[in-house]
Amino acid sequence: MKLTVNGETRTVDAEPDTPLLWALRDDLDLTGTKYGCGIAQCGACTVHLDGQAVRSCQATVALAEGREITTIEGLGGADAPHPVQAAWIEKQVAQCGYCQSGQMMQAAWLLEINPDPSDADIDRAMAGNLCRCGTYPLIREAVKLAAAKMRGA
Amino acid sequence: MMTRSRLAFAIAAILGLAGAGLAYAHGDGDPSAAIDLVVNSPEGEVGEDEGLAAWENIYAVVSHPRCSNCHVDDSNTPMWSGPSYGEARPHGMNINAGASRIGAESLPCGTCHIQSTAPNDHPHAAPHAGLTWMLAPVEFAWFGKDSADVCRQIRDPERNGGRDGAGLVEHIVHDAQIKAFITWGFNPGGGREPAPGTMQAHLDDMVMWTAAGMPCPGE
Repeated sequence: MKLTVNGETRTVDAEPDTPLLWALRDDLDLTGTKYGCGIAQCGACTVHLDGQAVRSCQATVALAEGREITTIEGLGGADAPHPVQAAWIEKQVAQCGYCQSGQMMQAAWLLEINPDPSDADIDRAMAGNLCRCGTYPLIREAVKLAAAKMRGA
Repeated sequence: MMTRSRLAFAIAAILGLAGAGLAYAHGDGDPSAAIDLVVNSPEGEVGEDEGLAAWENIYAVVSHPRCSNCHVDDSNTPMWSGPSYGEARPHGMNINAGASRIGAESLPCGTCHIQSTAPNDHPHAAPHAGLTWMLAPVEFAWFGKDSADVCRQIRDPERNGGRDGAGLVEHIVHDAQIKAFITWGFNPGGGREPAPGTMQAHLDDMVMWTAAGMPCPGE
């Protein structure tokens, strides 16, 4: 099965109903995407499919085939971070960091659909992404900073 | 603030994910393949009493949490209920499906509830069905309403998607073909309580009720 991941065509040997998360981590060694709960209750495994944030523990490779898959590695890198990643660093959001790739992928989706989110908008879009360290206030600040960067403000 | 064009982008992205992931679920011998229902047309006229009896069965289904939890009002907040938390309560995670009813304004339903006809095997996992997950249109809101209110609503084309009796019957048949939300309600998996009865019995009741002229309680 061929998957388009971060702009590259990759081949995985997987059954169609294999969770995309498994293929990303175990077959393609893209371990930035995290396994948290496996049942779409935490958001740690969030990636983009054709631009939309989805929980990769629920999306199957069959769902992902033929679509653009973007992981945290493809969102941006150390040399050219996505504005969300840059804001996360600037605000030093992460504590343990485990949930943060999912948080950033969710935030990137939010800013695609809403360039100037309010606190309520952020809470509504991000509430499915849990953080055991309780970094929520910093996440909110970083989303607003990223939004400002993306607006060129 | 979300602009109209951004909302259009979001809706397109969400609906763009519809349809994929289904091909594998329709293979030979696949347990998740479509359900075949039979439309058993009644022989002769169906009386009002028979129609009302059929309606009570229909109401037992549509007022069950598996169905009514997503037929909510313009608060756009889906409800949750299950054996571990008693009466229905608002969906956790601050979920709001917005006026789009698919979460396009913030967090799409489809972020967690993917489109798939595969069985729902895992307790507590976000359930999935053969359609993009969404709330029913707001004019179909019947959560918490009594039998007479919901009855008048379901027979009203202004509040049932423009369907006549035949359309309501076809709605169930089509749902079974694509394993959408009615089908899921009877087989929700993951330890969830299913809607009462069977999909075929629900269809039989709809045929009887519509054949009787869609009588409602209290008339």
